[in-house]
Amino acid sequence: MSTHPTPPGECAEGGATPARSGPVRRGSVDPVRALMQRHRALCERAVDPLEIAAGLEAHGVTDRTAARFRHRDVFSLAEELYARVPRAAQAPVAPSVPAAARAERDRPGARGLLRAAVYLLPGVLATTPAAALLLLDEADPAVRFAAAAAGLVLVALALRPCLRRGPLRVRRGARSAAPAVCWLLGYALLGDGLLARGLGTAEASVSASSAVLTAALVFAVAPAAWCARWFAVRAHRGLAASRHLDEFASGSRPLVPAAVTLFALALGILLLSAETLRVLALPDDPGEYGRHAVAPAAVAALGILLFVARLLAVHGRPRAVLVGVGAAVAVEASALAVALVSRLPGCEALAAPVRAAVAAYGPAVVPLGACAPAALLLLVLATVLLARASAHSGRPAAWGQSTSRPAARAEPSRDSPMTHHLLGDEER
Amino acid sequence: MRIGLLTESGYPYATGESGRWCDRLVRGLPEHDFDIFALTRGRPAPVGDPPVPRQVRRVRTAPLLGPAALAAPLGGSAGRRWRRRFAEHFGQLVSAVCAPGQRQPAGSGPSGPGPAADPGFAEALYGLAELAREHPGLPGALRSEAAARILERACRTPRALPAVNAAQPADLLAVAEELERRLRPLSLDWHADDEKGLGSLDLCHATSSGAAALPGLLAKRFHGVPLLVTEHGSGLREHYLDRSRAPLGAPARALLASFRGRTAAEVYDRAAVVTAGNTHVRRWQQRCGADPARMQTVYPGWEDHGLTAVAEPEADDAADTSDSGRTLVWVGHVEPSKDLVALLHAFARVRREMPGARLLIAETGPRGGASAGHPESTVYTAHCRALAAQLFPDEAASALAVGDNPVAFEPVGGLEIPRLADAYTAGGVAVLSSVVEGFPIGLVESMFAARATVSTDVGAVCEVIGGTGLVVPPRNPRALADACLALLRDSGRRARLGAAARARALELFTVEQNVSSYRGLYLELVSHCPVEREEAGPDGGPLLFGRTAESSVPGSWAAAAAPVAVPAARTRTVPIAASPVRGGVPHRAGTAPDPVGPKAARVLRGGEGRA
Repeated sequence: MSTHPTPPGECAEGGATPARSGPVRRGSVDPVRALMQRHRALCERAVDPLEIAAGLEAHGVTDRTAARFRHRDVFSLAEELYARVPRAAQAPVAPSVPAAARAERDRPGARGLLRAAVYLLPGVLATTPAAALLLLDEADPAVRFAAAAAGLVLVALALRPCLRRGPLRVRRGARSAAPAVCWLLGYALLGDGLLARGLGTAEASVSASSAVLTAALVFAVAPAAWCARWFAVRAHRGLAASRHLDEFASGSRPLVPAAVTLFALALGILLLSAETLRVLALPDDPGEYGRHAVAPAAVAALGILLFVARLLAVHGRPRAVLVGVGAAVAVEASALAVALVSRLPGCEALAAPVRAAVAAYGPAVVPLGACAPAALLLLVLATVLLARASAHSGRPAAWGQSTSRPAARAEPSRDSPMTHHLLGDEER
Repeated sequence: MRIGLLTESGYPYATGESGRWCDRLVRGLPEHDFDIFALTRGRPAPVGDPPVPRQVRRVRTAPLLGPAALAAPLGGSAGRRWRRRFAEHFGQLVSAVCAPGQRQPAGSGPSGPGPAADPGFAEALYGLAELAREHPGLPGALRSEAAARILERACRTPRALPAVNAAQPADLLAVAEELERRLRPLSLDWHADDEKGLGSLDLCHATSSGAAALPGLLAKRFHGVPLLVTEHGSGLREHYLDRSRAPLGAPARALLASFRGRTAAEVYDRAAVVTAGNTHVRRWQQRCGADPARMQTVYPGWEDHGLTAVAEPEADDAADTSDSGRTLVWVGHVEPSKDLVALLHAFARVRREMPGARLLIAETGPRGGASAGHPESTVYTAHCRALAAQLFPDEAASALAVGDNPVAFEPVGGLEIPRLADAYTAGGVAVLSSVVEGFPIGLVESMFAARATVSTDVGAVCEVIGGTGLVVPPRNPRALADACLALLRDSGRRARLGAAARARALELFTVEQNVSSYRGLYLELVSHCPVEREEAGPDGGPLLFGRTAESSVPGSWAAAAAPVAVPAARTRTVPIAASPVRGGVPHRAGTAPDPVGPKAARVLRGGEGRA
């Protein structure tokens, strides 16, 4: 084969030696300097020479190019660059809230209104059956059950988007405490009537007061979501700011009590207004003031229990949830069982403590006794567990986020032809 | 024999270029049984069985990304002793990852320190694998607070890499999460010794040095199954490119890169043979500590798309005046890195010297079936068309004819060029003008088509072309024009170069060459590193005398007639003939002997010089 004009394999110096008649390239005594200038961002960001080598190759630098810089290969050229370019100062960790979410937060627009509507919808839907029960106070129990059941179905449907998306979304597939939570809610609605029937004091029925209180509890989904979001964002900000795990733990320990307090305040206001409404609509005999305070307290305890449980589940601690919620369910179920068993001949004595407590404080004493200690237990657990950094891996869930994939994994965009090197371009 | 193909690229579910290679390999070796162990990325595997050839006995799939089941199953959480051992092994692992890389022995590869096989790292990895076999709580433990604290402690030690000293909790959590994903193959149920697991294989063939190779490492460690690693793109390099765009802090990137490098080094260290898809990958592998003595370059092979049927150019004077003899052809996906602007400037120069010359730009879709119509490339195409119209006015044969432009932009698959082969038929010289290029598959295609080529010296061009084409520096239209003119004027040289290029491509870059290389490698590996197994009787107990005593005797002592002076190299071939690896397993009985015999002998003769 003739050697005109450029034999293959002898072209390494071709780019560096100026053409005989062409324009003479401006050269410097330090050719690496220009390369350094061109790839400064890459070199400053690199954590080791191989990263620079990979980046250089993606920009078309080959071993023959490296020979122009008097290096044996790209690796040794990358080593020189790595040694000569000072590392950039530790960049601040990416802001905890994605930019889009922040802009959205700063400028509440139509999306914000929509979001508020989504979270308020279950509460609004729950007021309908509650109002119906208030109006149908003297009606047939079957009609009242039907109204309550219809309301339940509506509320369950409306709750779905609240719990599947946004800050109340449980990220990872884990054993769910859903049956236990359903039991607790069902007991809040029907439990008092069942207990009264078991004890033989009244007919089983859905009482209007428990329906109203449950509606207030459903309204509390909105503050719960807000508090959960506040907690996640604060914790994440603390994570970005702290330098050690211990520093993070000590800084984030007050966050759970603070979030729970905020939620408890909101729930208290809701329950108070619900109770006022009920008293206005359905004035009771004025002799039972002390007993009236027990029912809202029981619902408040239930609400706090559910909130803390959700917080734990959202941050990947489903076992603690099972323990707390399971304990509450056990207490309620055993009270109910004892009441039913006491109807058998010879077993009346079994239900004596329950009967005495109910006589003194009303039937709501049972859920209060079940939920308040469980809520306290979970609060302590959450304060300990959620102060750990490992509970906050990944970004805090944005409001609309619904997928279960971790947000941290950004799909690499492959734009350079060097990147899909030969067979490397896989279809993801 | 039974081969376990460990894939990470989505085969058999996705059909990328890498998946097509796996498919060709499996279909090309019908005499072996394949078990496919696929790690899928992102979305869970599609429902239903993928279409696989008959020799695939089983496809087992596990998601590599996506959420892990963190809660321990109902069996309860791991015991205290398990947790203590986990802390021990994980601590060893991360302190190995945090430590600076060891300097490789001089002369063993490209210069400087790179990741090298680290016994501490390997021991910790296998320790974690044993823990994962005992209890399924490894993913949860890796994401726990205890793991984060161990990681923090390791980063703060004075011996740690300087980059990781400043690791903050956010970095630690990102690293722990990523480590959990990377180590997920340890927790899979593939490692059982039963019929379905990796323990029943004769050979593991991993198609990456990353997560997909981990099951192969464990199979090697716990069952003695030999491991063959094939890479068509350097996994470590892709890791760097991916991570440099990820929103991670420098300490996290340093830790993950160190982990990836050490994993690769361990994989290369344990693998019986490491094959690279090209020299570039080979350099990276060597850089990561692969032993050159156990490395091979096996080109993946490309389908010729009917290009080998394209007639070779004529070497006579008529060819110089014919249309195709004066046409330069460029085939590819138009994008800025292809530097068509330089090609057009070079062509302008060619036209000055040779007024009848034409240029055909045949546009194909992007390689690998990626999404077409990237805005950048659309803009660039429009720019190139405008430049061509500016540089070259339309011209006609006579005053009465309708003219056209000497530069034609035609899509492959359109009316003018229905098939790829037609593009090459229309041209006498193929040109490649890229400034950045990986492995130039377009160049391989023009070699299949027996066209003389002029290419810029980028990427692996010199490796592909060998001596069968002209190479010029990139960004040098003048040199490109001179080279093109030299070929356009000399039809004899064009024909000689084209024929040489086709011969070289058929020798190196065909699918058959790739498949037969792996056929040989498989047989060689199984004969040199047979899996030692207890032969099991019908009741599951050990089968006495299940294997003849001669099967483990080196040399041909059993054959009395064999000559005494057996050449040293021949002795190694005997285990194949005497014992086809595993005597007692029924599913191999029918498949092994017939096709293996003569090929094995041939392959081993080929392999002796290498080993």
